[in-house]
Amino acid sequence: MTAILRIESRKRVRGSVVLVGVFVLLSALYFAMFPSLSEEMEALEEAFPAFFFDLFGIEALHTIEGFIAAEIYSFFWVILVGIYFAYAGAGLIAADVADRTMDLTLSNPVSRESVILQKVAALWVPLVALNVGVATVVYVGALVIGESFDPVALAMVHLLSIPYLLVCAGIGLVLSVVADRPKTARSTAITLVFVCWLVDAVSGLDPDVEWIGAVTPSRYFDETAILVREEYAFADAGILLVAFLVLLGVALVLFTRRDI
Amino acid sequence: MSAIRIDDLTKRYGEVLANDGISFDVDSGEIFGYLGPNGAGKTTTIRLLLGLIKPTSGTATILGTDIRDRRALTERKADVGYLPDSIGVEERLTGRQVLDYFARMRGDERRDELLELFHPPLEKPVETYSHGNIRMLGIVQAFMHDPEIAILDEPTSGLDPLKQDRLHQFLERERDAGKTIFFSSHVLSEVQRVCDRVGIIREGELVALEDIDALLERSGKRVWVHLAEPVDEARFATDEMIDLEIVDSAVQFTYTGEYNALIDHLGEFDIANVEITDPQLDEIFKHYYGEGTPMERTDGEPARGG
Repeated sequence: MTAILRIESRKRVRGSVVLVGVFVLLSALYFAMFPSLSEEMEALEEAFPAFFFDLFGIEALHTIEGFIAAEIYSFFWVILVGIYFAYAGAGLIAADVADRTMDLTLSNPVSRESVILQKVAALWVPLVALNVGVATVVYVGALVIGESFDPVALAMVHLLSIPYLLVCAGIGLVLSVVADRPKTARSTAITLVFVCWLVDAVSGLDPDVEWIGAVTPSRYFDETAILVREEYAFADAGILLVAFLVLLGVALVLFTRRDI
Repeated sequence: MSAIRIDDLTKRYGEVLANDGISFDVDSGEIFGYLGPNGAGKTTTIRLLLGLIKPTSGTATILGTDIRDRRALTERKADVGYLPDSIGVEERLTGRQVLDYFARMRGDERRDELLELFHPPLEKPVETYSHGNIRMLGIVQAFMHDPEIAILDEPTSGLDPLKQDRLHQFLERERDAGKTIFFSSHVLSEVQRVCDRVGIIREGELVALEDIDALLERSGKRVWVHLAEPVDEARFATDEMIDLEIVDSAVQFTYTGEYNALIDHLGEFDIANVEITDPQLDEIFKHYYGEGTPMERTDGEPARGG
């Protein structure tokens, strides 16, 4: 029974292509800027207060790894793509319930568990498209401007971000199952993912309150550590994966019990 | 065997009882009309039968499968066709893609045969469809896997009269082939035309459950009389007359008493012309719903009840 997976995958193509396109443009912009900026970056690092860089986890801006980690991954990947997955997750159930598509879907001999699992599985489309697409663009972009990117670190930053993105989708999915309206689910999911990132970033500035950020997903994905210092936190990725499975389990239990 | 057995089925939304202890059976091989105005609770019963919502109390079975047994009901849906009152499908898909999608889940051995009767523009995206085309697409998907039971929620709404007729004939053929049709409607004439039995629901309660013929019989006769001269209402009226209207020498009323008594009574007057017919269900309806015909009642539905 893969009818739902097929149709849901097809629905994800357009958004994925648009997002990859956005990253192509962004990458082109930043790679074009880097050669002329790299020398000024050291001055920049001195000019700005340290908390500004700490907020985004930025370091070694004058290297291509540090620059791209800061410009592409710290902001656009962690926040923008995180929000996209939260938004997509939040639409999975609530939107179908609201427009009555779910009525006909569930009139088929297909269980509610299967509906959720197939819909979540369809997120393979943006996951593959973005990770392969953006990794390629960044790698090629660096070569074009005469720099080079460690391909292992680059692959790792994408691989280890997958559990993070799945947790964002999981947050959206749980809200999607609980909320009566897709709008509520989506706006709550986006807000939650953004606030989590903010809590993580701000709490990270002060060692006394740093523990607060331990409940936020972005705490377990450190793009700068991976790209600049080549530190691969597999245990953290494991924690995110477990969190995603818990969220998925909660969504399954709630959805099988609710009226649609 | 009963194709559908509904047993004290109750669904409560806060203070609103969308279905209040409803019990009835639908026999195999009959067309059962589930009749009531918008908001009476028809859609709630249908959504309960399909397991889309859970009963507050009571239960029902479809082909012997308890609707509270989620897993068994999921499998049973291979034998059920469903046409919702409001059809939700992925609007960017073409009609053909929508049918392919459902076919992957439950088969489509009768698709071509159905598309000869009902032909939505299959190559166009559903978002460009008119109401009638969406409804035809819904009818095709509801029957294409050759289900034992078809549950149809307001199946003719949006169809032009020709297509309505075609659907009615199709339903009769399905019934004759042994299939069970459960269909809800607030269009009384179509229920009268195609249904074998009818259940009437009002504010969540089943108020009547009868053969159409028995219902018509029990509901008396519609009588129109043209007298030779104007008549006084006090002299003409009897207790068995309902909705009596007198304009000069023309009189019409619904008669609920003994026919002999009616003939004897009319014999006391000089009659120029007379016509005695079965009442329209609309008129029978009035007796269940009081003033205001059901067609005029479009007040909001209690939390998705219908």
